[in-house]
Parts: sequence; structure tokens; C-alpha cells
Amino acid sequence: MATEPVRSSLVSAPSLTAEGRQRLMRGRPKRLGRDTLTAYLFLTPYLFVLLVFLIFASLYGLGLSLFKVDIGFTTPEFVGFQNYQRLFEQLFTNPGLSLFWISMVNILKFVIVVVIGQTILALILALILQTTLFGRGIFRTIFYIPAITSSVATALIFLWLYNPDGLVNYLLSLVHISGPDWLNDPFWALPAIMLLNIWTTAASFMIYFMAALQDLPKEVLEASAIDGASRFQSFRYITVPLLRPTIFLVVALGTIGSFQMFDQAKFMTNGGPLNSTLTPLLEIYNAAFQDSHFGLAAAMSVLLFIVIFIVTIIQRRLIEPSTS
Amino acid sequence: MAQVSTQEAAIRPVEVAQEIKPERHISWWHLVVYIFLAIFTITSIGPLIFSFISSFKSMSEVLIFPPTFFPRTWITTNYATILSNPLFLRWILNAFIYAAAAAALNVLFSGMAGYALSRLNFPGKNIIFLTTLGVMMIPATVTLIPKFLIVNNLHLVNTYGALILPAMAQPFSVFIMVQFMKGLPKELEESARIDGASIWRTFYQIILPQVKPALTAVAIITFQGAWNDFLWPLVALGTQDMYTLPLGLFFFKSAHFTEYNLLIASSMFNTIPMLILFFIFQRYFIEGAVSSGVKG
Repeated sequence: MATEPVRSSLVSAPSLTAEGRQRLMRGRPKRLGRDTLTAYLFLTPYLFVLLVFLIFASLYGLGLSLFKVDIGFTTPEFVGFQNYQRLFEQLFTNPGLSLFWISMVNILKFVIVVVIGQTILALILALILQTTLFGRGIFRTIFYIPAITSSVATALIFLWLYNPDGLVNYLLSLVHISGPDWLNDPFWALPAIMLLNIWTTAASFMIYFMAALQDLPKEVLEASAIDGASRFQSFRYITVPLLRPTIFLVVALGTIGSFQMFDQAKFMTNGGPLNSTLTPLLEIYNAAFQDSHFGLAAAMSVLLFIVIFIVTIIQRRLIEPSTS
Repeated sequence: MAQVSTQEAAIRPVEVAQEIKPERHISWWHLVVYIFLAIFTITSIGPLIFSFISSFKSMSEVLIFPPTFFPRTWITTNYATILSNPLFLRWILNAFIYAAAAAALNVLFSGMAGYALSRLNFPGKNIIFLTTLGVMMIPATVTLIPKFLIVNNLHLVNTYGALILPAMAQPFSVFIMVQFMKGLPKELEESARIDGASIWRTFYQIILPQVKPALTAVAIITFQGAWNDFLWPLVALGTQDMYTLPLGLFFFKSAHFTEYNLLIASSMFNTIPMLILFFIFQRYFIEGAVSSGVKG
């Protein structure tokens, strides 16, 4: 159907009923009015979700951060910027004691390692698949499987694998490395979760690179090969620059996702040991649902959002300077 | 093809032919690729296969050091224990209700919204579309607590409604629908209108069948998101009998903390349905995930 040549609908219509002719004769304005009402009827469920759960919720969150709220104990009290003041005071006087700022430091480490790791791994996976001559579809399926698992199921599996007597330490022992008790070690717990995340998310970003690699103009690569460029040269000077938009996309999406890591931190270690795996979203959750400080939690959410926003803009400047 | 000037072609035709051939057939490069293929195959599905096989081990065998690959004795009591737990079965049911309802409603409502935004003309259309794009960039963190408070005020905490309502029409799905529907030819509607079809019939009987791939992709993404959702059910649900599977697994884990055999077996209930769905609908999983970034 999409390839049929454009023809006047009057000519191609199978039958022009009397009713149809009447509709045509009525002209545009009435149809526009009917269109508008119907359009909004069609949009109603979506608009409900959009307005209530997204827009109103965002504004509500903003406003909530200016209040001191706990459900069921006291009435909400407007405190202006006090929540923010409290957080910044903690930052400047004793950040080591502030759970929120500890979580920010943790997540910064996490984001840097995970985003770099998963971007590189995703690119490698895509390149491998691109170069594979046979069974590309099968391998693509296999490589993509980690991406469809749930965070909880893989957390359970890796809880077992990271056990001091588990597979990971066994493999290390084969090369004479005595592995630590990963999830109970304040130094190794976060890296253990980093590895788990890279494993899952590299698979989902791999396909972005695959799609981009397939869209690369073949003539340019062939020209460079004829002109004598080695594989590495043509990769570095042609492929990578052409992949910039995709790299930015993968890095930005990866950053936004990693900043909000929650599931593994809650499920595997609950922020421990010694708060080494405490993430901002986990701290927000605790502040709201355990300590009942909804206003403070909302303020933390806003701060986290601002940090994510700034980081994404910086990445845009760095990766795609020409288009920003 | 490449722009090689005739002079250069005349000068180096033989060298070019000789230069290219060996480069393309250097075996060490292909060897590297094959090695990587093997490594990544093992790392991608190794943990899952190993866990699946180990779910048939007894508790003592599941953690012996050095680990065994195949169980010395295959036992099915792990699965028997889990399946005889009515709460566990309830969790599976809840997860299924949430995922199926969210997927079905999202397909319908996003389809409707996408149709309106892409094929109809009305005031406010652009604002709504731009808002959709903008809203896709808001991180979930900002809306988590307000969503809870809203659901609380609607007295929907701990109900299916709390789960399904926010998920029944999603900006990202609307965006996919708009992108797909924009590409359909205008003649479809014009001939339908001339024949007197109402807008709903045009939508339902003419446009929708044209975008089946998009509908399937949206259904699958929504189902996957809801099936694997942990944070929102954690926040919105209160009693164990309403838990979805990820949340139930969390509770199950604290109850059976050291019984890794049970934990591994229980994780299979979350993973295997998704794997089955994935094998059947592979294309839609992958194309759906890509269409957000690449086409947009």
C-alpha cells in the first residue's frame, strides 16, 4: 500500500456514496471541529496519565521539597528552602556523616565506571557481530539475553555467584587469586554491582551500535581501504567520528540510568556494607518510606535531577560539540 | 564506489589488487573474532545456564567449593517447595495481571493517542507532542514520591490500580506510535472518510492493522517493563498477597536467605517466561528498544 503512486482520492475511491458526497460538500470547518473533539477523546487516557502522573507529579515533587511532610503524624508544614539548606549544610560541614552525600559519591563512582564499561563493551559486541560472517542472528540473540532478565532475578543469581564459596571466587582461585567476600566487603561491594550492571546493560546498548554500524556509508570505508588504510586507522578516523551521535546517545542514556540505580543496591546489599553501596535513589527511598521525611526526600530527588541534567549537558558538549 | 582518479587507477591497478586480498584474509583477525564470540557467548548465557542447572541441586551441593557443574543428584524438591507455596503462586498471578493489563491498555491508549497526534489536526497538537518528548527525559526519581502520594490520595495503595494506572499509557509508546503512523499514506483516511467511516472505525479497522509491528513492540516492551518492575511495586504495594514477582522474590530472599538452591530456583520463575517471550518475539524486543534512540 505504501508504494502505490499518489492519486486523487476521488479517482481511486471504489464508490462515492451519496452520503460521502454530502460529507465532501460540507467543507472543512465543521470537520475541523469534529476532529478536535474526537482527537481529544482519543487522547483522554494518555492525557490523564501524562498530566497526572508525569507533569503534575513533577511539579508536586518540586513543591513538596519546600515542605516538611510526614504521612499521618503531623500536618505538612511549609519550610521554604530548609530541606535544601539542611542538605547543603551537611555537605559543607561534615559530608562523611551525610547519607545523601555519601550516596552521591558512590553513584558518581558507579556512573563513571559503568557508563565507560558498558559503552565500550556494547561497541565491542556490536563490532564483533558486524564482522561475524555466519550465525549473526543467533549470536545477536545470545548476546542480548542479559538485557531481558530482570534486575531481581540476576541479583539472586549473582548473590549466589558472588558468595565467598561461589563461582566467581572459584574462577579466581584457578589463577591463584583469593577472592574477597564480595558483597560483604566495603571496598568490593560496589564494584561487584558495577560488574553486574555492565553485564546487563551492555547487551541492550549493543543494538544501538549495531543499528548505527549498519547505517554507516559503505563507500567511505571502502575508499579508505583502497587508499591503504589499516583496519585500525579506518576505525579510528572514520567509524568512530561517524558514530558520535550514537555514542552520545548510549552514554547519555547510560548515565541517566546509572544515576538512578536502585534495585541491586536494595536487593543485594541494602546500601551496605558501611553504606558503600548506598545510592541516591535508595537514600531517597529510605528517607521517605523509613524515616517518613517526604519533603526532604523530595528535595534530594530534585538535587539528583539537577545533577543528572548538568552531567548530560556536559556530555553533550564533550561528545557532540558541533551540534549543541 | 570510491572516487579513484583514472591516473591513479592506471598507475596502481596491480598493487591495489594485491594489497587488498591478503589484508582481508588474515586469519589472526578472524581468530580474534571467533575467540571473542566464544567468550561473550559464555559470559552472556553462562550464568543463566549454570543457575538453571544448579536449581536442581540440593542446598548443600549448591555451595560446595569447588563448585560442580551438573548436580550429583538431580532433585526437584526446590521447585516443589516453591510451587506448593500459595503465596508464590499469587505473586506470579499478580505479576501476570499487572504485565498483561499494562501491555493491553498501553497498546490501545498509546495507539489512540498516537493516531490523534499523527493523523488528525487540532489545536494543541504540537504542544502535546512536544510535551511528550520532554517528559520522556524526566528521570523516574523525580516522580517516584509524588506518584506514591497521588496514588495514596486516590486510595489506591496496595491495589492493582496503583500498578496499572500509571502504566496504561506511556509517553515513549505514544512516541513510537506517532513515528510509525506518520509514515502511512494519507489516502487511507481519505478513502475511508469518503465512504463514511467514523474516525474510530478508521482508526480501528484501517490504521491499526497497518502498524502491527509497532503495536507488538509496544506490547512487548510494556510487558517486559511491568513484569520486571521492582521499585514501583515496592513503593505502591503493602501486603504480601498483592506483591508482584520481583517484590515477592525480595521477600522470599529474606525468608530463605542462605538457601541458595531455593533462591536460584525462584529466580527462574521470573526469567523463564521472559525468555520464552523473547525467543518468540525477538525481533520486536530488539527493534522496539532501538526505535527510541535511532529513529528519534
